[in-house]
Amino acid sequence: MKEVIEGSHAVSEAVRMARVQVMSAYPITPQTHIVEALSEYCADGRMEASFICVESEHSAMAACIGASSGGVRTFTASSSHGLALMHELLHWASAARLPIVMAEVNRALGPGWNIWMDQTDSLSQRDTGWIQLYCEDGQEVFDTTLQAFRLAETVNLPVMVVLDAFFLSHTYEPVDLPDQETADRFLPPFVPNIRLEHENPCAMSQMAPPGHYMEMRHAIQGAMETVFETFSEIEADFDAVFGRKYGMLEAVECEDAEVILVVTGTAASTCRQVVADLRKKGERIGMVKLKMFRPFPLEAIRETLGGARKIAVLDRNFSFGASGIFAQEIRAALCNHPGHPQVFGYIGGLGGRDITTDTLETIYRMTKESPEPARESVWVGLKEEE
Amino acid sequence: MTESEKNLKSERIPPVISQSKISTEANQTGTWRFLRPGYDEKTAPCSAACPAGEDIGRIEMLAAKGDLDGAWETILGENPFPAVCGRVCFHPCEGVCNRGEFDSAIAIHGLERFIGDAGIRKKLSAPVPRHTKVSKRIAVAGAGPAGLSAAYFLARIGYGCDIFEAAPEPGGLLRWGIPQYRLPAAVLAAEIDRIESIGVKIHCNSPIHEGRLEGLQRDYDGLFVGCGEGRPIPLKIPGEELALDGLDFLRQMRQGKETCNGVRTAAVIGGGNTAIDVSRSLLRMGAKKVLLIYRRRREDMPAFAQEVELAIQEGVELVELRAPVRIERKDRDCRLILGPMRAEGTAQDGRARILPADGEEESLDVQSLYRAIGAEPAADWLRPSQKGDVERFSRSRIYYDQFPIIFGGDLTNPTKSVADAIGSGKEAAMLFDTLFAEGREAIHDRLQQCRVGQGKSLSMEMYLSGRRKTRNKEEVPFERINTEHFTKAPRQNTPLPGPAHVIGSFAETEKSFSEGAAQKEAERCFNCGICNDCDNCRLFCPEVSVNLSDPRTCEAAGLNRQIDYQYCKGCGICVVECPRDAMSLTEETTPL
Repeated sequence: MKEVIEGSHAVSEAVRMARVQVMSAYPITPQTHIVEALSEYCADGRMEASFICVESEHSAMAACIGASSGGVRTFTASSSHGLALMHELLHWASAARLPIVMAEVNRALGPGWNIWMDQTDSLSQRDTGWIQLYCEDGQEVFDTTLQAFRLAETVNLPVMVVLDAFFLSHTYEPVDLPDQETADRFLPPFVPNIRLEHENPCAMSQMAPPGHYMEMRHAIQGAMETVFETFSEIEADFDAVFGRKYGMLEAVECEDAEVILVVTGTAASTCRQVVADLRKKGERIGMVKLKMFRPFPLEAIRETLGGARKIAVLDRNFSFGASGIFAQEIRAALCNHPGHPQVFGYIGGLGGRDITTDTLETIYRMTKESPEPARESVWVGLKEEE
Repeated sequence: MTESEKNLKSERIPPVISQSKISTEANQTGTWRFLRPGYDEKTAPCSAACPAGEDIGRIEMLAAKGDLDGAWETILGENPFPAVCGRVCFHPCEGVCNRGEFDSAIAIHGLERFIGDAGIRKKLSAPVPRHTKVSKRIAVAGAGPAGLSAAYFLARIGYGCDIFEAAPEPGGLLRWGIPQYRLPAAVLAAEIDRIESIGVKIHCNSPIHEGRLEGLQRDYDGLFVGCGEGRPIPLKIPGEELALDGLDFLRQMRQGKETCNGVRTAAVIGGGNTAIDVSRSLLRMGAKKVLLIYRRRREDMPAFAQEVELAIQEGVELVELRAPVRIERKDRDCRLILGPMRAEGTAQDGRARILPADGEEESLDVQSLYRAIGAEPAADWLRPSQKGDVERFSRSRIYYDQFPIIFGGDLTNPTKSVADAIGSGKEAAMLFDTLFAEGREAIHDRLQQCRVGQGKSLSMEMYLSGRRKTRNKEEVPFERINTEHFTKAPRQNTPLPGPAHVIGSFAETEKSFSEGAAQKEAERCFNCGICNDCDNCRLFCPEVSVNLSDPRTCEAAGLNRQIDYQYCKGCGICVVECPRDAMSLTEETTPL
């Protein structure tokens, strides 16, 4: 049944239907609504779960690590500075192979203090060993969160479901919510591969000397490489139950496109409009919406973008001293591809600034008119110097 | 397995993590250690300052745990007079209390009285004498605090003891020199009875004089002389005979013979504790005005400061820097002529030199006049001489002979207090026993072993090889207390009714603690240097290497915890987190 709910509550509903057993989180705008609803579900008995209150995000992740090691389905949510504070334990969770699911609301880092949309917080965690899935709308948020538990529990890696601050977290949209029975049909109870047991005690994640460490790291990468296939299988199952699927990436009008815009999150919705409008005017524009960032879907990227002429990547993030992070990754993915296209990098929408149809059309035109990229990153929408 | 569970395909990718199923006991982290923590109980400054060497930190620890019997027995190990000392001691312990630097000193004095009174109320019995009886017998001259203590400790070691007392009742200065409002007779009697209960015999109306020495030599193996100073020092001024003796006044009063009818103004000459006691007694007996005449200043008084303060609060008027010149008869009154004095420089005893000042003489008419400027031994043979085979100790002097004689109490003590007299009696008991058992040469080392901390006080528990013997003589300074583990709490004070309630009454002035207040106050004690089972060492140990001792062996070890050195890394956290410095960290010397 469709209900008009906030993006935040789409997460909360999915977590409830996933029958999560332990949650621990620390409030931070714009993530707070997610755990606020969940704490109410715990308090009023709608969920049979423990909500562990903690004094920081570092402790929240530590509590999740403990709970997940105990073999229960575990969830947390955070944003921006809170996520940054978790950093050390994000590494721990993945290397301990714990299938924790986190909702991450993309928010800028201070200073200047800013609570609005920006992707630098989640992208700063790209090397922590977490799977990262970026969502476009409330429905995708709900669906991806439910899928995330199966994905995490299958490959034994933690999953971050990423959604834009306010544009998604605080926007009310119709979301089709299944009944519990249907959700259960897709997501069975958690059967842990690793579990602390009273009857079979052991020490977990203790010292791994040089003779063992490297193999353990290699095994994490091995698990990451199975994600593409596993994700497709899970999506197929999901499609069978719910009749929806998204893909690791989605290509729109790319076959004959001269310029392909690569976008993530809510900007994809805006971009769909721009593609439709410009196509009507005869422009050969296409769009790729990138959903999966870790593991990076190399093959799919090469297959979809390898034959294009020009690619324009929109980054709502920035790696200081280098360029937009998605653009870097796409350049790296294509550089060994014979006859690879030119990659134009654009920085826009930082700290909650709007990405409008005009912004995207400007990017399209600049890309189309430039024979080659003038620089690694072009910042769009900057105010004129006063 | 359901269809969807199969879909999880978890068997497809076995996650590799580090995991250990063996016990971490295999990792003997003790091999990393280069510093070694250990239990090292030290000396609390209060106990070193106590002339009787009481184990105050332990007494308060037991009282805080509600073990009043244990606290009482701990006092009795070092002092047979807790209820007396809890009333009349000048408590030097409180002056050095580490808690004083944190908020305010523990009310050790009030707690001792509370514990002593509980012992009397519960009719607790004194510690039993040592099993092995000693064949030797000691005679004691004087049943004051020194003589009674000497006999008490000798009896505990196993000696037969007879006390010979000139007065009709035992107690000495406690019985005759301290008024009822400070020390009720029943309290004193109860504590003396207890000393008799362990086999000490007291013969009253039986003064020892030089002529009896030969007879004593026949019947005893040694003599302790603790007769005190019974002869008042004269003023040496014209009209001296018009002034009454203060000590004699107190004695008459205790016998119910003294009255103070019709006295408008009384004057007391002196600055010691007797002068204060006489002044406060006169007020209670109805004197309208009491003047305390002192040739020096208040700060120079040998009387205990707290007693002076109470006397002034009660209405005694202090007249400083006035020396009596002569006393004249004026009708039925006395006329006291006073000369002005001045303070100048510093004399040998550290006090200011007092010299006659320019100025008019003053005269003062009073109905009664008392002198209390000190006393001296009643007979010449009691004056300990330096001649002969004599050796001086901290609180006594011994004459070696076939028949050894030890002089103690006020005759030899630099500080003339009840607690010092008790310490003197204890020292004498150790001297006799060591002399007889191990010989004269052993005395020095034996006393050193029994010192409480760095001071001159002695411990009978150490002498009898009790647990206290293992205690480090290092005194715990305030800086070694981990104050993070303490919260500030106001000192509980014993109730003290205002002056309006004391006039005309010889009821005890200061009241005792309630049980609740006593417990609260005892809980404030840092227990400096002494393990009170707070468990911090065990709880803070990151290596889980502090274990509770096996109760069957802990009695022998004396402590309820032990360190497992196979795993202790020597991080020292236990030592830092010990709130009371009962642990130490030393360099590791044992090769593992």
